[in-house]
Formats: sequence, structure tokens, C-alpha cells
Amino acid sequence: MSNTPNFREALLAAVPVLRAFALSLSKNADRADDLVQETLVKAWDKQSSFQPGTNLKAWLFTILRNEFYSQMRKRKREVEDTDGSITASLSIHPSQDGSSDLNDFRKALARLPEDQREAIILIGANGFSYEEAAEICGCAVGTIKSRVSRARTRLQEILSIEGEGEFGPDPIAAQVTSAAGVA
Amino acid sequence: MKYQSFEKGRKAGGADEGSDPLGPNSEIGRKLKQYYDDLVSEDIPDRFASLLSQLEQKEQPQNTEKE
Repeated sequence: MSNTPNFREALLAAVPVLRAFALSLSKNADRADDLVQETLVKAWDKQSSFQPGTNLKAWLFTILRNEFYSQMRKRKREVEDTDGSITASLSIHPSQDGSSDLNDFRKALARLPEDQREAIILIGANGFSYEEAAEICGCAVGTIKSRVSRARTRLQEILSIEGEGEFGPDPIAAQVTSAAGVA
Repeated sequence: MKYQSFEKGRKAGGADEGSDPLGPNSEIGRKLKQYYDDLVSEDIPDRFASLLSQLEQKEQPQNTEKE
């Protein structure tokens, strides 16, 4: 019983990262908030299964991720919307106006397949170990490693192609990127 | 009991930091963190704090079976 206030505070403290993860997965602010809400309710109900001292963040991310994929299965059609609404919903945050660089990155990230985006977010943005990320995703460590590596390569491709103009004409780079575009 | 810090990262894992493909020396790594920090620092809607208070309150009447 005396544990309850701590648990509530710990969950509250986790909301910003949960929300960031939910936004990265769902790419839609409303749906992300629903995901976080559902995660908090589930976490609360399951709190006896959480062992204090273990990684609360990883535990919560696992719940959120499971919730995301089960919701996604329910609403398959909506998720297949690949460009327009994603970009629209991703650009609504006022803090994001300034940097077009960051906007380019956001769009590039949105173009990654779900499993790759999730892997690179867990490892690169949240600082989970490959082992932790594998546990959260319920897959092998090697799978996470290869997803991260593919995500990174893909982001580099997308960003260098789209950022070409900023660096001025570079015949060699142009040749390489246009060749890559055709392939 | 205290909950493990949220800041625990790959460094704790001890693997090859120098060649970390998403570390501070990687452009993708830096952009990824910038993107994510932006999201993390957004204002949090009040609904989450109220939700957690509600969940906590709901639990208390369980001991005493009266309204």
C-alpha cells in the first residue's frame, strides 16, 4: 500500500518519454495520447507484476508497444495511409517550426518501416541496450541490430537525397544518389 | 525501493562506445536525439495526471466496503 504513491509518481514521471515513444510509433498526436492513457491504465492494473528495482521504463515501453500493435491490427486500414496525414500530423507541434532540418528528419523517419523505426528509436533515442530493445520487441538481439542498421542506412539515403540542394551541386554525389534512386 | 533511473543507457552495457553507429559522432544519431528531445520536452496534457489520481483513488475504497 505504501508503495502506491511512488508507483503513481514513477508513472507520471514516465509520461513524457512514453508520449514521445507513442508519437514515434503512431505518428498521430491523438492516437499517441490514447496509447499513453491505455498504457498507464494497464500498467496500473499490472503493477503487482512489476518488480521494483528493475527497469520501469522498459516495462512500460513493452506495454505501450503491445498496445500499439494490437490497436494497429484493429485499424489496419488507417495505418496504411503513408504520406499526407502523417506529415500533416507530425508538423503540428509549435516547437518544431524553426528547423527545416529537423522537419526533414521527421519526414524521413516517418518513411521507415515500423519495425526499423521502432528499433532505431529504442536504441538511438532512448538509449536502451540491444538486449533491452530485443526484450521490449520480443525478438532476437541480432534482429534489433540489423533493423537499426537498416534504419540508419535508409535514413542516410533519404536525407542525403532530399538534402542535396542545400549543399549545392556536387556532380559525384548527384550521380550516386540518382543511381540509388533508380535502383 | 527506488525505481531505476530513466537515464540508464547503452554505456552501462559497456560495449564498444567509440564505434557506436548512433553515438554523438553520427549525424543520424544526433538528429535522432534532437528529434526525440523535442518530443520529450513537449507540454504534457493534464489528463494523465488526473487519470493517475483517479486510478489511485479507485483503489482505496477496496478495503472498506462502504460508499
